[in-house]
Amino acid sequence: MTRELEDRLARVALGRLVEPGDPRLAGVVAELGAVEVYAHLREDRDVTGVRTDVAARLAGLDPEGELERAERQGLRFVCPGDPEWPAPVADLERAGTLNGRGGVPLGLWLRGAGSLDDLCRRSVSVVGSRSATTYGVGVAGEIAAHLAGERVTVVSGAAFGIDQAAHRGALAGRGPTVAVLACGVDRAYPLAHRDLLAYIAETGLVVSELPPGCAPTKHRFLARNRVIAALSQGTVVVEAAVRSGALNTSSWAALLNRAVMGVPGPVTSAPSEGVHELIRGTGATLVTRGSDVLELVSPVGSHTQAPLRAPQRPRDRLSVSEQQVLDAVPVSAAAPTSSVARAAGLGAPAVGKALRRLRTAGFVEGGEDGWRLRPRDEAGTVS
Amino acid sequence: MPFATARTVSLSGATGHLVDVQVDLAQGIVATAMVGRPDLSITEARDRCRAAVTNSGFEYPTSRRVTILLSPADLPKRGSHFDLAIAVALLAAAGQMPKSALDGLVFVGELTLDGRLRAVPGVLPMTMAAAARGMTCMVVPEPQADEAALIDGMAVIGARSLAQVVAHLRGDEIPTAAEVAPMASAPLLSWRGDQRVTDLDMADVLGMADARFALEVTAAGGHHLMLSGPKGAGKTTLAERLPGLLPDLSVEESLELCAIYSLAGGLPPGRTLITRPPFRAPHHSASRASLLGGGTGHVRPGEVSRAHTGALFLDEFPLFAGDIIEALRQPLESGEITIARGEEAATFPARAMVVIACNPCPCGDYHPTDRDNRCTCSEVRRREYRRKLGGPVIDRIDIVRHVEPVPAHEARDPLARPEPTAAVRARVTAARQRQGTRYAGTPWRLNGHVPGPALLERWPLHDLAARALEDRVYSGTLTRRGGTRVHRLAWTVADLRGLDRPGGDEVDVALRLRTGDPLMFSALSVAEHR
Repeated sequence: MTRELEDRLARVALGRLVEPGDPRLAGVVAELGAVEVYAHLREDRDVTGVRTDVAARLAGLDPEGELERAERQGLRFVCPGDPEWPAPVADLERAGTLNGRGGVPLGLWLRGAGSLDDLCRRSVSVVGSRSATTYGVGVAGEIAAHLAGERVTVVSGAAFGIDQAAHRGALAGRGPTVAVLACGVDRAYPLAHRDLLAYIAETGLVVSELPPGCAPTKHRFLARNRVIAALSQGTVVVEAAVRSGALNTSSWAALLNRAVMGVPGPVTSAPSEGVHELIRGTGATLVTRGSDVLELVSPVGSHTQAPLRAPQRPRDRLSVSEQQVLDAVPVSAAAPTSSVARAAGLGAPAVGKALRRLRTAGFVEGGEDGWRLRPRDEAGTVS
Repeated sequence: MPFATARTVSLSGATGHLVDVQVDLAQGIVATAMVGRPDLSITEARDRCRAAVTNSGFEYPTSRRVTILLSPADLPKRGSHFDLAIAVALLAAAGQMPKSALDGLVFVGELTLDGRLRAVPGVLPMTMAAAARGMTCMVVPEPQADEAALIDGMAVIGARSLAQVVAHLRGDEIPTAAEVAPMASAPLLSWRGDQRVTDLDMADVLGMADARFALEVTAAGGHHLMLSGPKGAGKTTLAERLPGLLPDLSVEESLELCAIYSLAGGLPPGRTLITRPPFRAPHHSASRASLLGGGTGHVRPGEVSRAHTGALFLDEFPLFAGDIIEALRQPLESGEITIARGEEAATFPARAMVVIACNPCPCGDYHPTDRDNRCTCSEVRRREYRRKLGGPVIDRIDIVRHVEPVPAHEARDPLARPEPTAAVRARVTAARQRQGTRYAGTPWRLNGHVPGPALLERWPLHDLAARALEDRVYSGTLTRRGGTRVHRLAWTVADLRGLDRPGGDEVDVALRLRTGDPLMFSALSVAEHR
């Protein structure tokens, strides 16, 4: 048995033994290696206090059989050292813990045609509340579709509401998408998204830290969120109430020094309150469209946007005093220069000069005896 | 005694009054007088009847003073269908047939000079009125016998001529007569064929999850809906699919609708009950009379009444004339429309779901929340345009939805499976059945019909939800009328979800529907709440 295979089998086995994101294990696996840790536990020696917790699960472990079964089901297991293993996941090692979870996953179970490494080279996670509004669902879909069109992978959690909208937006944009689950990749959770997950697997990937067959539990969702954040260069939160799992994902993105972005909603909308707080309190970047997101996660200078500006009107090019004179010119009944000067509150000679310039520029018509505005079509009204 | 009475019905709008036609023959100056507030078309009956009687081979009492009274005398009467009753009463008074033969019969029909019986508008409502007053047999022009026979327990005699009617009353052999032409009807056809509308399916509508749900609620509770959005957003596409979501009409609804069509002269002969709810989409340039009802002479029901039990779609609503918009207030609120004219006031049922579509500005491109809008209208023009929407009508609209063109990502969503009409109709039907059971024994059928006080007293919300709604009204963010509409909508949402009483979540959905706020995505799928 090669060292690689031994390591892989140990990681599969450890994945069965400990809950995902158990911080006690992450460090020790990096230090000693998975093989050593697994051997310790099998030989009834304790490692960082996990022995008693995993004792009940030690019996009946069969990592070889598990890999074989997975292969028959079209599933695969990738771990550090594999060519498909995405390097940025290693950042989790230094990211610390959140809610008692943390560390680099032992490995990831995959279902689908895509290559995890390729898919995560340019990727953004789009997450949000399960109780979303149609506004949030619409915006999430739009942003995801835009990213997908630029071949940026959309990573999300396949939940109801924003998550599914993000995946579907990406699929509609004919782009790649990755769903990270809090249960085994062979399971569909929520069940209503069975078709969605199958579709995602056709072109993208369904990913989980948990071995096949595992059920989703609350703390597994929290552990899952760190994987979503780690697999992407930035996290966009669309609609999250004050207590929302999506904010947990954005916290992980912040710990990983990835871009944290928020899409605002109506200020009166409860499902947007968490996002507003995220922007207000932690300095997450406010984004409103796909190109905003792209600008933030792309290399400097590659997707820079011009600042939004109202279209310039001819009047904007006039000097302040010219505008002052123009304001004083009557619309219909012509007025002589002296009268315009009085209305403008400026000296007559200067006003006369300004009026002649304005005539050349096409704003006014007439002469010394009477000036008035040149009529324009409504769209170009000089006012 | 040279005196006889025959019965007929006088219509005022859709209300029918039983009228006695009394004919007295007396010594005196030879003349024929008609009293009892007849209108011009009835006074002409004098001349028609005289010719018809003579030309049918009977004898007109030319040497007597003929007095014809339409009783009750103070009720204004209108229409040409009094002819038959006048003629038979006259013949009975003159002793040309037994007076007793007229008992218990109601006569309706217009006579031609050669004594043939012509079809008249309104036979169905006349028959309904006669039946309601205990009459059991109608004599009507032959082409309209089917129409009168729609009423249970009414014996109908269809005749082609005066001679046939008299023979029937005398018990003689019925003489042959030429076939009578059905009524020359000129129905004010809507500008879209009915057939086109029945072929439309919700499965062809992509995206617009919000508006689809709003349409479902509208259909289930008989509410009023406003769709606003830039041109090309799909407002008409949605509105046209509303009638498809409705179940077939009940017999009662169908009779009401047939009565309206009968009054309008648009019920084709040989056609049995109308079974599908109507969809009317009058153009904004249509006249006041064609929309609301009226017309010269006989007051005809307008499009608002023809849409009764179905849907009335008013596209480009702000382009309708201001007085028409004002007049819509009554049907929106009470489900009927009164056309007052001189001393006459005709009332027609007009309980349609009103769907109003409007652009956000005159050019149709503006959207307040669309960052890419290409609108070129000035704010002044926009304000002017929107002013029409404000006030009384908008406050009576239950559901407000802003629709925008379906974004590309929704149109291309490979997993989108828009629900077909049949599936939505099944839920709407179930929700309407719940309402039918709840409102059995009341004058109401749907949540949209129930008045506020009755709702509060007999069908309240769950306590907490009611309190939350009250708070909104007290704080002034919702008008009292708005509160009632939210209450009704909450019931409809509960009916769609199969709940026994609306609670907080149903009120939340209702509030969002009413205010135009985006809906919670999870609320859109009714199935999940079962």
